Amino acid sequence: MAGENTFYLEIITPERQFYIGPAEALVLPAVDGQMGVYPGHEPAVTAVEPGELRYKAEGKWEPAAVGAGFAEIKPDYVILLVGFAEHPEEIDRKRAEAAKERAEERLRQKQSIHEYYHSKAALARAMARLKARR
Amino acid sequence: MASIKEIRTHIKSVEQTLKITNAMYLISSSNLRKARKQLNDVEPYFQKIESTLSDILHHSEEINHRFFDKRPEIPPEKRKVGYIVVAGDKGLAGAYNHNILKLAEEKMAGCANPSLFVVGQAGRSYSQEHGIPIDVEFLYTAQDPNVGRARDIAELMMDLYLEGQLDEVYILFTKMINTFRMEPTVHRLLPLERDSFPVYEKNRDCYNRDVVYIPSVKAVMDRLVPGYIKGDIFGALVESYCSEQNARMTAMKSSSDNARAMLQNLNLSYNRARQAAITQEITEVVGGAQAAL
Repeated sequence: MAGENTFYLEIITPERQFYIGPAEALVLPAVDGQMGVYPGHEPAVTAVEPGELRYKAEGKWEPAAVGAGFAEIKPDYVILLVGFAEHPEEIDRKRAEAAKERAEERLRQKQSIHEYYHSKAALARAMARLKARR
Repeated sequence: MASIKEIRTHIKSVEQTLKITNAMYLISSSNLRKARKQLNDVEPYFQKIESTLSDILHHSEEINHRFFDKRPEIPPEKRKVGYIVVAGDKGLAGAYNHNILKLAEEKMAGCANPSLFVVGQAGRSYSQEHGIPIDVEFLYTAQDPNVGRARDIAELMMDLYLEGQLDEVYILFTKMINTFRMEPTVHRLLPLERDSFPVYEKNRDCYNRDVVYIPSVKAVMDRLVPGYIKGDIFGALVESYCSEQNARMTAMKSSSDNARAMLQNLNLSYNRARQAAITQEITEVVGGAQAAL
């Protein structure tokens, strides 16, 4: 499945299978900050926050924006199940900026706790996209 | 034999119906293509999320978390059970709505305190006609399933569960096994139970160690479970929508075929009646002419 220095990485979203293949390293946005994963990591489960993710495949770091989700880490494979995953070139900067403004605008309004969480989540998604796009 | 005029009106009405059924056939087949694509895209996620969660749970010790609380202290006759039923928005889809609603009635009969949440207009009007109490505030359409709707439903269910208004939550949807077979299915959403997850690819790895939760079990589960439930509901919505379009397509295809067969028969008897009328007229003319001679 995976060689000596690689592990099998799967990044899956409801819309598509973003990446399936070997990777040498992975940096993912976890709940309490960035988290790096190399082959041979101890088995772990962690939650993924919206943000920027990087994985190293064939010696090259590939950045991507990801949404909230979780990751299952095993010594020789990592599965990431996230709300969305996008390559930087797929991200529409204008759209993300508009979404960010919209979310900020909504956060200023009085709203129910659920609406508040939705706006917060929308803001986090927009920020993640903008960060990956740069 | 029916009169020519009667046959002609019958032919016209069948033609009208054929036009409708044929149009519905075409619409549902194009919708089905879209739905099938979505289903194909969602399915890997849906399966992966289930197998991953199963794997995580089988690799950890007993989890003490609010979403795993089975509330054994509540006796069966007092348990409040919620059923989300995913039906269609429209009828004319063969037995699709009927099958899922029958399953819902069956499930509700075996439960002391059921509450029903119906997705889709056809299911709602059926329940109202039959006097089955449903949650009237729960208004969601079955058309074009999207993640936002799944999220809203998931949040509502989790709130009701955590507030103690529901002790168990099930979702009833139609699973598409293949083009010819669709099965109404029940799936438990809450509380989560390790044993209800099938062990996918048992021991697919040699690490019989427990997983660690970073940063803590609670923090991970608080994020993981809502995501899982949302994914589950989304998968069920997509699966049902696809089944509905498929059922409608099959139903409309067979009714179009029937209408065509009927038209053929009607045309035959129409021609026969016309021929008989002409023959009769000729006989009358000839008879009249002979009498005049």
